[in-house]
Amino acid sequence: MGSVKFESVSKILGQSRAVNNLTLDIGAEELFFLLGPSGCGKTTTLRLVAGFYTPDEGRILFDGQDQSRVPPHKRNTGMVFQNYALWPHMDVRSNVAYGLKMRHVSEAEKEKRVRHALEIVHMQAYAERMPNQLSGGQQQRVALARALVIEPDVVLLDEPLSNLDAKLRVEMRTQIKDIHRKIGRTMIYVTHDQAEALSMADRIAVMRRGRLVQTGTPHELYTRPESAFVAEFIGGTNLLRGTLEEVGDLLTVKTQAGIVRAKNGVKGMARGEPVFCSVRPESLRLKPAAESSGIPPSDATNELLAEVQSIMYLGDNEQYSLRLADGAIVRAVEYNPTTRKAQVGDRLALQFDTQAVVVLPQEELSD
Amino acid sequence: MTSWLRRYDLNPANAAVLIFLWVFFIVFMLYPLGYVFTNAFFTAEGFSLVFMKLMFTSPNYTIILANSVNLGLAVTLFTTLLSLPLALLLVRYNFPGKGLLNGLILIPMVLPPFVGAIGMRQLLARFGSINLLLLEMGVISQPIDWLGGGSFWGVVILEALHLYPIMYLNLAAALANVDPSLEEAAKNMGANSFKLFSTVTFPLMLPGYFAGAVIVFIWAFTDLGAPLVFEYREVVAVQIFNMVTDLHQNPMGYAFVVAVIALTLFFFYLSKRILGGGRYEMLGRGHVASATRSASASMTVIAYGVVLGISALALIPHLGVLLTSVTKRWFLSVLPSDYTFQFYQDVFSHDLALLSIKNSLLLSSLSTIIDVVLGVTIAYLLARKRVPGRGVLDALAMLPLALPGLVLAFGYVAAFSATPLDARVNPVPLLVIAYAVRRLPYMVRAAYAGFQQTSVALEEAAINLGASPMKTLYQITMPLIFANLIAGAVLSFSFAMLEVSDSLILASKEQYYPITKAIYALLGRIADGPYIASAMGTLGLLLLAGSLFIAGRFFGRRMGELFRA
Repeated sequence: MGSVKFESVSKILGQSRAVNNLTLDIGAEELFFLLGPSGCGKTTTLRLVAGFYTPDEGRILFDGQDQSRVPPHKRNTGMVFQNYALWPHMDVRSNVAYGLKMRHVSEAEKEKRVRHALEIVHMQAYAERMPNQLSGGQQQRVALARALVIEPDVVLLDEPLSNLDAKLRVEMRTQIKDIHRKIGRTMIYVTHDQAEALSMADRIAVMRRGRLVQTGTPHELYTRPESAFVAEFIGGTNLLRGTLEEVGDLLTVKTQAGIVRAKNGVKGMARGEPVFCSVRPESLRLKPAAESSGIPPSDATNELLAEVQSIMYLGDNEQYSLRLADGAIVRAVEYNPTTRKAQVGDRLALQFDTQAVVVLPQEELSD
Repeated sequence: MTSWLRRYDLNPANAAVLIFLWVFFIVFMLYPLGYVFTNAFFTAEGFSLVFMKLMFTSPNYTIILANSVNLGLAVTLFTTLLSLPLALLLVRYNFPGKGLLNGLILIPMVLPPFVGAIGMRQLLARFGSINLLLLEMGVISQPIDWLGGGSFWGVVILEALHLYPIMYLNLAAALANVDPSLEEAAKNMGANSFKLFSTVTFPLMLPGYFAGAVIVFIWAFTDLGAPLVFEYREVVAVQIFNMVTDLHQNPMGYAFVVAVIALTLFFFYLSKRILGGGRYEMLGRGHVASATRSASASMTVIAYGVVLGISALALIPHLGVLLTSVTKRWFLSVLPSDYTFQFYQDVFSHDLALLSIKNSLLLSSLSTIIDVVLGVTIAYLLARKRVPGRGVLDALAMLPLALPGLVLAFGYVAAFSATPLDARVNPVPLLVIAYAVRRLPYMVRAAYAGFQQTSVALEEAAINLGASPMKTLYQITMPLIFANLIAGAVLSFSFAMLEVSDSLILASKEQYYPITKAIYALLGRIADGPYIASAMGTLGLLLLAGSLFIAGRFFGRRMGELFRA
């Protein structure tokens, strides 16, 4: 129950394709994330599932049933809106009970389910309150209860945490994940916050300019990005510009700052192609240049020379900005920094494993 | 579906509603106007400019046109003089009780000048209160002929005292919109207060000023009530009123109405296109430093003095009505010598008075129902749906703001004569529709504001949970915009109760007379006529004040927006 399938779906809004030829399979009971920068089409995709938009091309199926022309009020989805959209003229109980009233659920049953839904979100004590008497976090929970109480086939969440303060946002991540585990229903969750997606999702679809860029588990997306955009958008990375010299078991890339060898890369790239080498900041190890022999210590390791530009101390980690031989700036992170490794102006050797490098085709990154 | 259609939210229900609205506007707005135009330009022999030519060349008619233009200009000038200091004081200074004074300024706008004219006549008569007071005080030795010169100045004063709040609202809005940094720049360059105002502030206010001036001018130009009461007959409005009775013999009525329409269109075009068209929009707002400062004690006194003084002046005519309504004997004395409430009793026993109150209640209720239904529907389509011809629908719904009641009523009488709607047989349907059309813009605006303030997500949330679009409208949207609907309906109702030109022109038989026409008829009767009329006028004022109070409670401080262009 609750699988959602997009078959070549496009939606034209104004002059542009807000969603462009989207094909996507969301499994039953999955906590599925749509992730991307603003304007990438993720909210449009969610509204297509809810039925507020009908596809201009393609079909949307719930459990194999075509829903493309079904009006929104007949779809049995439960949506949590970004601004919560609690009706200000109804108290919490009436807000939550509304969907059950539409479904002609008996009074006794309604009473029971509303109470249960409010318990799930820890709001049972607030049933008589009006929405304007609740804090943002409380409103958010009522909105969630209102969507859950109808036992929808799919729960839709449109940036549900974006209006909360940072601390509450992190707390609510755990709570929503708990709720998902308890109720075992398909949830589609839209966000532009990659940390939210990484920490909560079963699977993530990354979107850009109306198109699906990559789908996968958080681990897959982080360790095996298939494009520079995904590598940069999820977690942040260093992208070293170069030319692919050798392909094989190990990929060799010639950059202005030196040779970089990599274990991983997108399939189908040809020799001589312009590429990016993606290296995460936490994969870079800082060694004093004096200790370096000028050649990498092993076949599994790369080494580049750099000069420290600036250092930012953040308590649990220390962030270095370094300039490579060709002038490119890279970032490195030292976790648990007990002693300072270097000073601004020091020359260092940056070491990183071939396993930590992903070779990706060059593309335009500004969105 | 073609791609053209796909851009719109068109289902059979929406389409049917749209078609109904179009038919309504065509039949009750465009057709009557078109009919008037046709008759002004076509005689039995075909197209002819003879009536137009006559209007501009015959001395009989040119004097009438000139009188009306002068009336409009004089009223505009007076309202400017009254409202400019008010706007400067209330926008630029903060002092205790400012909100209250702001409300006080607006009161005269809603008091119908038609009623005020009765009181004014009483006060300004040759041996009226003002002259007697001045004589007693020894300021003058001979009564001054205030209403001499064909009562022109009486009409001007009355209309200026009625219309200055509209000018004030526009000026205040324009002044508040002037970017303080632009003024600071001028001061920085060395401009003194006077230079600052004349070279920077006022030029920047011009679009707003012009918008207000256009409304005031057109209003004064087309007002029928005040000139009729003052018997100042040589103006366009009264001429049109007189010509309604012999439409078929004398087509000059059509020509005058066309002149009014042309003038109205011209001025509104000017204000929208040339001055209002975002000439200064490229100026971004820098910091949001307010140009409002706390008033010193002496400034506060001045502000109170100016506002209270002007308001007192504006309330004098209505005070006159009130006094007249409780007068038992008032002859050669400043104030009545004996008082009585007899005439209030008479209102409810006098046949014509009682009948007219019943008629007005019925007519206004019906027109308000039409306004609510049409207003909500139009506002809903405009705010929530993409429909073809959206801009035209919007313009049509707002057109009555620029359409003088005189023109509409004249068009109705002419276009629907010898049809089942003939006003001379039974004016009730056309009266109801005329009231409804005239007040439709207020209702549309009120409802539209409600839709705008209500997030679409609230409706989507209901639909998402299984409510049909109809259920969503009734259970979610309507309750949320209820306050706006009440405010709009109360305004529509009370203005319909005191509608002047439509009532005077359309109500042809005594059995159908609404309140305003009954007041007019009573004024012409000797003996107790004017006193009963004053009592009715006072009751009307109370009704209006009460409804505006209610509307204000629902609408809050944004009510002024309804009266701006």
